[in-house]
Amino acid sequence: MTGDRSREEPLFRPLTAWRPKLILGSLFTGAVAALLFYSWGYQIRNDIGVAGINRPVFWGFYITNFVFWIGISHAGTLISAILRVTSAEWRRPVTRCAEAITVFALLIGGLFPLIHLGRPWLFWFMIPLPNHRGLWPNFRSPLVWDITAIGTYLIGSILYLLLPLLPDLAILRDRHTADNPDSARARIYRFIALGWRGTAQQWHSLESGIRALAVIIIPVAVSVHTIVSWDFSMTLQPMWHSTIFGPYFVVGAIYSGIAVLMVTMYLLRRGMGLESYLNDKVFNNLGLLFLAFTLIWGYFTFAEHLTVWYGNEPSEMAVFTERISGKYARIFWAMVLLNVAVPVLVLSFPRGRKPWLTAIVGVGVLIGMWIERFIIVVGTLSLPRLDFTVGSYQPTWVELGILVGSFGCFALLYLVFVQIAPIVSIWEVREGDHHLNQVHSATEHPVLETT
Amino acid sequence: MSRNASAWLHAVFDSPSDARDALEELAQEGLTFRDIEVRSSIPLEGVHPPDLQLHSRVPLMAVLGGIVGGICAFMLTSLTSQAYPMETGGMPIVPLPTTGVITFEGIAIGAILTTVATVLYECGLPRFRTKSGPLDHYLSTGQIVVAACIGDGESPEWVSKAIATERQDADQEDRTSSS
Amino acid sequence: MTRWGMVIDTDRCTGCGACVVACHAENNIQTVGEEEAKNGRAMHWLRIERHYEGEFPDIRVRFLPVLCQQCGSAPCEPVCPVYATYRTPEGLNAMVYSRCIGTRYCANNCPYTVRFFNWHAGEWPKPLDRQLNPDVSVRPAGVMEKCTFCVQRIQDGQDRAKDENRSVTDADIETACSQSCPAQAITFGDLENSDSRVAQMAKSARASHLLEDLGTDPSVIYLLGGE
Repeated sequence: MTGDRSREEPLFRPLTAWRPKLILGSLFTGAVAALLFYSWGYQIRNDIGVAGINRPVFWGFYITNFVFWIGISHAGTLISAILRVTSAEWRRPVTRCAEAITVFALLIGGLFPLIHLGRPWLFWFMIPLPNHRGLWPNFRSPLVWDITAIGTYLIGSILYLLLPLLPDLAILRDRHTADNPDSARARIYRFIALGWRGTAQQWHSLESGIRALAVIIIPVAVSVHTIVSWDFSMTLQPMWHSTIFGPYFVVGAIYSGIAVLMVTMYLLRRGMGLESYLNDKVFNNLGLLFLAFTLIWGYFTFAEHLTVWYGNEPSEMAVFTERISGKYARIFWAMVLLNVAVPVLVLSFPRGRKPWLTAIVGVGVLIGMWIERFIIVVGTLSLPRLDFTVGSYQPTWVELGILVGSFGCFALLYLVFVQIAPIVSIWEVREGDHHLNQVHSATEHPVLETT
Repeated sequence: MSRNASAWLHAVFDSPSDARDALEELAQEGLTFRDIEVRSSIPLEGVHPPDLQLHSRVPLMAVLGGIVGGICAFMLTSLTSQAYPMETGGMPIVPLPTTGVITFEGIAIGAILTTVATVLYECGLPRFRTKSGPLDHYLSTGQIVVAACIGDGESPEWVSKAIATERQDADQEDRTSSS
Repeated sequence: MTRWGMVIDTDRCTGCGACVVACHAENNIQTVGEEEAKNGRAMHWLRIERHYEGEFPDIRVRFLPVLCQQCGSAPCEPVCPVYATYRTPEGLNAMVYSRCIGTRYCANNCPYTVRFFNWHAGEWPKPLDRQLNPDVSVRPAGVMEKCTFCVQRIQDGQDRAKDENRSVTDADIETACSQSCPAQAITFGDLENSDSRVAQMAKSARASHLLEDLGTDPSVIYLLGGE
């Protein structure tokens, strides 16, 4: 089972010494991330009014970004949980980098409701803390559901990332301790590996735990984006008040999640030389999943718009017309192109599921999904039922800075993570190799077959 | 390891089948699972002392945690809403559908936290004081380390036999140590 | 029981805008200035919508004063995560400024678009600050506000009636808009009190609610239909 360990070297490279490229990358993304905090600080200092939101477009970029990032967070935990529960063997190199996407996208997504508040320093009014002020959250509000759902999902995904990470941290601990037991890295890994030993009982408990978490996290992930969609569909507003929104948003979330996973995997593969892990087969399989979600998302979008058009209710039709042929028509059809036409045309063919192609399609889908959320948020709000108050929306530099900065934040968190933990789960891949060897040796020596 | 005064024999194995053979031999020499520790960097089915029954209460605890979490969340929303008698203009202050949403999340968070707590408890983690064994770095390259307690007195016969066999085999390494 | 309500006779409304000005003065509503108004941030708790019928020169303008409808089943209330907006026992849709954290969810769920957000805090350069109404709080930046049916005047009228040991009548309470309307298009009172003027007028054949089909049960009744 030892086999050739040289394959693992690219994984250990950023974990054993400082790599100039990664440091430079972190500094650059850190600078971009600083843009978010500068813009946000500016907004807190000079009131929410420095953003372009107005009446009636009370929600703009911030809520769009919120839905977008929370959607991306469905990449990891959900996809990795589904692949784990179904024991898909090709999941092994994918789970860790997908789970990391979830945690970081959630941290950023969870920031946006705070950014968008008029008085963000009072956000704790929404948390049930006993107090003397007669304050209590309104549990009937979808925003309070948001907090419970996103909180649960965040805690769940952090633990779901960390639990399978423990044995890998122990591997790093042993490796660094063997090199130099007094080095800073050895000390740090000794601490964060929590004293994992890898005994038979520990493995047994860990595997039961991972299995249980995978089963629990799937309904949680579904509930999270359902509840995000309910922020809209619980209202009376035209084209928000839709029963289909729950599943529609969940599908869109997984769709954008796969897109970001494709892009991230391609960058990891190129940047870290992980061709032997994130190989063409993995991209091909995920590409097929990607294609399936393209079709499902396209179907939902069609169903959503068909019912509105057929129903022909005036206030809904005002929003609908603006989308199809009005102010938002250009970006609406760009979305259809990026989210349906291009993915179907590219991903349907085996040659289109090459890593670089799936990554390009992924970038397109990310743009398309962002547009989808923007049209839903702003498209409806700018056309209230009383047409005397029709409005428009123009983002300011603060909103753009926060949007750009959020990508910087995500990249920074990811680059730092790559330097702390192996981005491909070492033990899970070793386990996969072991299963393969077992199959081979079982054919040679049937005696060794295990149950 | 609990037996501080005892001496331990550590051995490294390349393949799980070798490790399993060694474990069976140890069992024949009368060692129970209390005296043997098998460690590996991957989960290995069947590679453990033959008399060790692996068990985990994670599924049971997850269900219990879910029930407790759900009840707590339901109580939190319903009881506190009733205790803070806000005017809602005739709308129900504790409607079951909205309370159900939060109860669902309570079930999930309860199950997640108990699952992780149970895993840590069963694994005996965190344990920061543990010193690393002499052969631990072999774990990081994927080998299997078997440690057997050989008591504090004279080495039993099988130990010297084992060491003698190992010396003949140049591929494998072993060492005895006392901790 | 009391349910405060308002009847607006659109056939009387001339669209002069006196009510809008009176509302600003009474409730310390900030004036945002030209630049911000252009960005869609003008604040008028009460606005006069102009609706044109017909083609020029055969054109007719109808005016519709729109303010918070103080809905009996208000869409804005359940969505607020912090109970900053809730229904009082007297049928008012109240706004607690100090509780508001500025999610603006209530405004999004208001089909009448009558909720206003303080994008910036109001400014009253000297000596304008001396005309602020001491009975009404000045709202900080980041909170939602809207028509209160001049709750400070309701309070005042109720106190006076209580001091004189009698029940509240139409003469005790008048909102700033109804007081200042030269055409007397706006009437305020208790809808549950069958002697009040609003209760009488609500029985009119011309009475209707705005966006009635949404089932929000508004407390503002519009009289319209006369030529």
